[in-house]
Amino acid sequence: MTTMTRRELLKASGTAGLVLSAPAILSAQSKEPIPIGTLCPLTGAGGSYGPDMQRSVVAVVERINKAGGINARPIQLFHEDDQTNAEAGVRAARKLIDVNKVVAIVSTWASAVTLAVKPLCVEARVFVIGVSGADSVTQGDHKGYIARTQPNTNLQGRMYAKFAVSKKEWKRVAYMALQTPYAQSFGDAFTGVLKAAGVTITDSLIYEDKKPSYRSEVTRVLATNPDLIMLEGYTPDSVVMAKDIYRAAYKGAVLAPSFAINAKFIEGVGAEVAEGIWNMDRAPLFDSPAYKEFSAAVPRGDQSPYAPQAWDQMTLVALALAAAKGEASGTVIKDNLRTVSNPPGTVVYSFADGARLLGEGKKINYEGASGSCDFDQIGDILSAPFSVQQVRKGKSELVMIINP
Amino acid sequence: MPPIAQYVFNGVVTGGILALPAVAFSLLWRLLRFPNFAVSTYLTVGAYVALVLNHGVRASIELAWLGALVVTGALALLVDRIAFRPMRDRRPFSLAIASIGVAFVLENVVRFVWGNDFRSYDVPVTRGMSVAGLRIGRDQLLILGVAVVLMALAQAFLLRTRLGIAMRATADNPRLAAVKGVPTERVIALATLGGGGLAGGAGVFLGLDASIDPLMGGGLIISVFAAAILGGIGSAPGALAGALIVGIMEEVGMLVVPPTYKTAIGFTIILAVLLVRPTGLAGARS
Repeated sequence: MTTMTRRELLKASGTAGLVLSAPAILSAQSKEPIPIGTLCPLTGAGGSYGPDMQRSVVAVVERINKAGGINARPIQLFHEDDQTNAEAGVRAARKLIDVNKVVAIVSTWASAVTLAVKPLCVEARVFVIGVSGADSVTQGDHKGYIARTQPNTNLQGRMYAKFAVSKKEWKRVAYMALQTPYAQSFGDAFTGVLKAAGVTITDSLIYEDKKPSYRSEVTRVLATNPDLIMLEGYTPDSVVMAKDIYRAAYKGAVLAPSFAINAKFIEGVGAEVAEGIWNMDRAPLFDSPAYKEFSAAVPRGDQSPYAPQAWDQMTLVALALAAAKGEASGTVIKDNLRTVSNPPGTVVYSFADGARLLGEGKKINYEGASGSCDFDQIGDILSAPFSVQQVRKGKSELVMIINP
Repeated sequence: MPPIAQYVFNGVVTGGILALPAVAFSLLWRLLRFPNFAVSTYLTVGAYVALVLNHGVRASIELAWLGALVVTGALALLVDRIAFRPMRDRRPFSLAIASIGVAFVLENVVRFVWGNDFRSYDVPVTRGMSVAGLRIGRDQLLILGVAVVLMALAQAFLLRTRLGIAMRATADNPRLAAVKGVPTERVIALATLGGGGLAGGAGVFLGLDASIDPLMGGGLIISVFAAAILGGIGSAPGALAGALIVGIMEEVGMLVVPPTYKTAIGFTIILAVLLVRPTGLAGARS
């Protein structure tokens, strides 16, 4: 038996890959599966989210393959665990790209991981789509090979403002934010929408982390008589801030992100201080047919905030490939993403409907389980539904869904 | 109400909490001739001791506070025996570095045992009351009151008791004091116990006022250092005055500079004092 060195094997398989991707012989190879990778956090800080995202992707692929695949080619999934760690994520992505020859990597989670694998994917012309929130994820020259279904801080700020505007009694609003890379961009978007709606922004204050008290920050903001304080921080500083706001006998409303106003927060300040605090989070599109199909196909998927996004990511990648009529590569996914997801076009809620219309030569506009999935030029979504909760008797309760 | 009065009051409360570790830091510096940076970590230790008593054995917060005073004092004594006593005759610089090492070790022991998450005591937060247009929190008033009483006790001890006088004598000139029959090591032990206790008690105040986490004391070291330098090393009333001034300047400073520069105010004070009046407010010749 002849032995092949690792290097030779790589060379050979690389050449094979090149040959296979040549369009001329594609028709002959049309039953060849399309390799797609998942890079979810199965362990580490994101370990409680990754498995659900992966199950969601698998459910979409099973449905597609059962119905005959994408233009008669089945999808072959390769799963890797990013361990919620950039370094492990890069190793896993290298394996997916070099060994499995995937055309797309779906459902990355942590921003640090997405940012780390981004240059690899751009260089190898592999499309990557995830749920990472940091603004930098879609910034820079990525030639369109990256997109995400998680709103950026600008969209978040606008959605928070949309809710605040809907409360007519909030005429005067103050913005307080922990010093973070996104405090400014979130604040600009938030206050911009409110000002346009005729609401007065009484104060805008960015505070330092790890201070023993925020009494004087609260003094300054309360001196401006706000009806609502928008508090954009993390849990530890929000605890100190909420205590000081309560001590200052503030009677108005407080709005904050749900990731700060969690069970730990309520335990830290006590039910009385937490009572009535509004908080918001990215929500799925509960009344969409795509969401209904998703929740039927993915047991307990409705418990996970990211599983509906993973469902949409896989569906979008598949639709973009279907629109290419034969060629399967990262480049055709990025070139077709917006033609299948954005208007104009017939609204579709599933791959099956979308692929059928594409086959008839029609334009489509996919509306997903997590939102309407319309992307801008840099790969950010243009809109997303948000849930509004309020702390009542020591628990955050769902009050309403704000649709874009 | 002129808002500046509210900022001044906020600063007085912050200064009251700062004063306890600042006095401990200042006196120990004068006595042992090195800045003991572990003092700020004694705040953290004190806060966690009270947390264990408050949550674990359901002690009232007052009892937990007393417990923190005693246990943290004892721990400070133990640290002195293990880390600083064998180095007594080294240069101040070596001892200061050793104290930073002690601070790291203590902080990470706390982290290892209780984790990185923040905690809170089982004490309800109360609404503040309005007095002459000023918003005054009950807890803050109590904290301030206890801090003032402790300061007065410390000062009375230093001025009126034999041991207190011995302590001042040792601080002024350790060799002369030893020759005159002052039991130097006993004086040091007592000062360490008292200083650790004061810092531990302040840690509980800090935990009540804000929340408890492994970095809470360490984050205060710049302010404590600034208060001690401003007051003049070795002077208890000086450290108290220094703490109040630092506290007030940090809060009132918000009217002039953005809140994100709060920490810079402490640094600016240290720099200004060292440039203009290196002996500090109390002005003793070194």
